[in-house]
Amino acid sequence: MSRTETAGAPTDDAGGDEEFDPVGTLALIAVYFAILVLAWVYIYYIEFLGRDLVVVG
Amino acid sequence: MHIHAYEKIWLALSIVLILFLLGSVTYGAVGPGVAMVADSEAQIDANALDEDDRFAEPRVEQVGENEYEAYVVAYQFGFDPSPIVVPEDSTVTLQITSRDVIHGFEVAGTNANTMAVPGEVAEVTVEVGEPQEYGIVCNEYCGAGHHGMEGKLHVVTEEEFESEDGGDSE
Repeated sequence: MSRTETAGAPTDDAGGDEEFDPVGTLALIAVYFAILVLAWVYIYYIEFLGRDLVVVG
Repeated sequence: MHIHAYEKIWLALSIVLILFLLGSVTYGAVGPGVAMVADSEAQIDANALDEDDRFAEPRVEQVGENEYEAYVVAYQFGFDPSPIVVPEDSTVTLQITSRDVIHGFEVAGTNANTMAVPGEVAEVTVEVGEPQEYGIVCNEYCGAGHHGMEGKLHVVTEEEFESEDGGDSE
């Protein structure tokens, strides 16, 4: 049974987190995050800064 | 407002990512000194380049200890001088303009890349290392012969550079 943020009364809101833990989504976002960081490190630090004739002025 | 704990995590991650991207660019500017091509040079008359101190005679000139300036004119369809010959391990400032239409100036496979606009002077400073031959391509469509428009940038040893310095030709 799913519930939304607004459905729960304020009194049992604290228990809501335990009932709805989208670990799959969290894992997916963690993977996306890792891909973005690795891609940026490669594009900027290795491919861009590692090339010849960096423009310095 | 209630925000799920996981949602706080990925909100924080996205902010970390943005700060990392901005931090990288800042590091690039402060550390390795990556710079952009600015419009700091004064405008010139593209129709009177033959009266210009720098571009009447496109050339490479020594301006300091281990510092060189190259005055380059792009035209339909080529670059002058070609090849641009500079000594190894030096700092080279390329000043590039065009005498006819908009051209591109890209040292192939490197970050030295700018537009060559008639009446404008693009200034690009690079540090060259080991002797090497680079190709230069025009990357702005400039007419029927665009595809064949190319130049050369030769980084040569000190000795070779000295021996070529006296005579104008290769």
